[in-house]
Amino acid sequence: MSLKNLLRAVLGNYLFKRALRAFGIIVAASTITFFIIRLMPSNPIEIFINQMMSAYGMSYEDAKAMALALFTIDLDKPLHEQYFEYVTNIIRGNLGTSISISPGTPVMNVVTAFLPWTLFSVSISLFSSFLLGITLGMIAAYRRGGIFDRVVSTVAAVTSAIPGYLLGILIVVFIGVRFGLINYMRGAYSAGLTPGFNLPFIVDVFLHLAAPFTTYVLSTWGGWMLSMKANTVAVLGEDYVTVARAKGLPEGRIRTQYVGRNAMLPLFTSLAISLGFIFGGSTLIENVFVYRGVGRLLWSSINARDYTVMQAVFLIITISVVVSNFLADLIYSLIDPRVRVGG
Amino acid sequence: MIELETKGTLTVNEPVISIDNLTVEYVSPRGVIKAVRGVSLKVYRGETLFIVGESGSGKSTLGLAMLNIVPRPGRIAGGSITYHIDGRNVNILDLPLEDQRAFRWKNVAMVFQSALNSLNPVLRIWDQMYDTIESHDKHISREEVYEKVRRLLYLVRLDPDRVLKAYPHQLSGGMRQRVMIALALLLDPKVLILDEPTTALDLLTQKSIMEVLKNIKKELGLTMIFITHDLSLAAELADRVAVMYAGKLVELGDVYDIFYRPRHPYTFALMKTVPKLTSIDEELYPIPGSPPDMANLPPGCKFHPRCPYATRACSDVEPSEEWLTPSHLVACHRHRDLSLRVEAR
Repeated sequence: MSLKNLLRAVLGNYLFKRALRAFGIIVAASTITFFIIRLMPSNPIEIFINQMMSAYGMSYEDAKAMALALFTIDLDKPLHEQYFEYVTNIIRGNLGTSISISPGTPVMNVVTAFLPWTLFSVSISLFSSFLLGITLGMIAAYRRGGIFDRVVSTVAAVTSAIPGYLLGILIVVFIGVRFGLINYMRGAYSAGLTPGFNLPFIVDVFLHLAAPFTTYVLSTWGGWMLSMKANTVAVLGEDYVTVARAKGLPEGRIRTQYVGRNAMLPLFTSLAISLGFIFGGSTLIENVFVYRGVGRLLWSSINARDYTVMQAVFLIITISVVVSNFLADLIYSLIDPRVRVGG
Repeated sequence: MIELETKGTLTVNEPVISIDNLTVEYVSPRGVIKAVRGVSLKVYRGETLFIVGESGSGKSTLGLAMLNIVPRPGRIAGGSITYHIDGRNVNILDLPLEDQRAFRWKNVAMVFQSALNSLNPVLRIWDQMYDTIESHDKHISREEVYEKVRRLLYLVRLDPDRVLKAYPHQLSGGMRQRVMIALALLLDPKVLILDEPTTALDLLTQKSIMEVLKNIKKELGLTMIFITHDLSLAAELADRVAVMYAGKLVELGDVYDIFYRPRHPYTFALMKTVPKLTSIDEELYPIPGSPPDMANLPPGCKFHPRCPYATRACSDVEPSEEWLTPSHLVACHRHRDLSLRVEAR
């Protein structure tokens, strides 16, 4: 095979094309965020100076001198030069150092301190919510019009209409305060415990997970439940389900292979897209419970205008969303034979 | 085009199904809709019975009821469906659920109207064949299943090696309907119900499916119940024809009685909607009016608003079924004084 043909084969390959497009999206999205971040009013140095002035009564000049000594970033450079520097650093695998949240610490270290907690909490919550939603949705579809269906569908509609952080605040007020559980609603584990693989620490971690977990599941299960119910009702009306009954298949097999599999197909896409957001955390919920996650990191880095940390978090979110969409397409073509990867 | 063929004469009149006073209703926001209103019917061993009627006449519901799989919100409100198989009399409506499951497909199988949607899109044809046998016979080996499936696919003129690996969407409509027919024959059922087996297909495919069905009738000699509005199919394959209107039988008889000597004005009108073989420019006569609203049926005979021969009595009292000969049944007040003639076709 000549080089030209080889090149054509590679360029014409579906996966290669998809990967190339995914890469393009990541480059475009991170470029746009780079500039938008810098268009926000104020900047990290101003905010630091203001903090120092109000907290320690420093003069503007002293605070500014301190900021310049502490921070390595030079915001007076032209934007395109800053951008060029950012890109070359990323290519070398260097995300820079935090400007103001924890000055001088490599951004990589800051992010890796928060990322595992988000991965842990959001993935557990997401899968629980998904499983709960599709199970209840399927039961409701089988008993549509009955008491179970009406109650569950109403509750689902109500809980998914309330924003997650509001549910979180309600939980803090009505459960945390009233039952004295507020200590378990702050952070990812109790202060004073050393992280490690020992029983007290693991128990403590799960106790701290309870409130954000409940909030996340409560605010998202309804969506899964309602769409699963709608899909199941539609599939139950399909002829192949009637045929399966006529064929004398056991009810369990009809439920899984005929109804369940077909009703779940459209939900896989939504699930895969949500998987991408596991990395971004749930900013508002993590904030209510001061949970040590990427969402909270994003929130504080925005408040402090910590450009480098913000860039890193947005980059992680962009990459994980793009990659999970890509995976969603691939997986979908595996589970639904009608969709072929091609062209 | 109607063309009558010589039918094999039925010597034994041994019923295989007795349907007695069957009522099926659907509960809808507009009220209870009776799709089947007290149908009694015997199906004899080895015969080919056609149930014909317009859309909404309850004929498909009757077919589903024979397997007791009327989908919600429908339910069987009364009557019985007794199978006389292997010397036993079994009312499928009385069987425990698990026995019903085992009874279906093994004794009575069904080919459905929509060839395109009757197969599960995410399972290969082989898996859908295998799960059918496996759920009735746990001990059968894969080789035995394969042998059987291969034989049946040849019978419906399909290439097993190509079809079994395929997913439904990779097959054409005609192929899918053949697969359904093979699937229906998988457990050697005594009775095969075919609900509009050719309706969703194009003319050429219809023709070849019909050939397949004729072939099956000849080779397997099973009892077949066709549910259709395709009268030319009836003329070609039927031994007996039952005509349904608004959920009730209005006429039942052997195919010659129904085609040449109809006694019910509805059957008569139905025959006139079919083009004749002898002339091409003759006008067809559509039945005036439209099928009745099943949620709001007229009083008396349900056909009287569309019937040119209706009298006062027809709008007051619903006619009862009456046997004219041991094999010809009609439900019409005026069958005695009307002479309905159908010219030879």
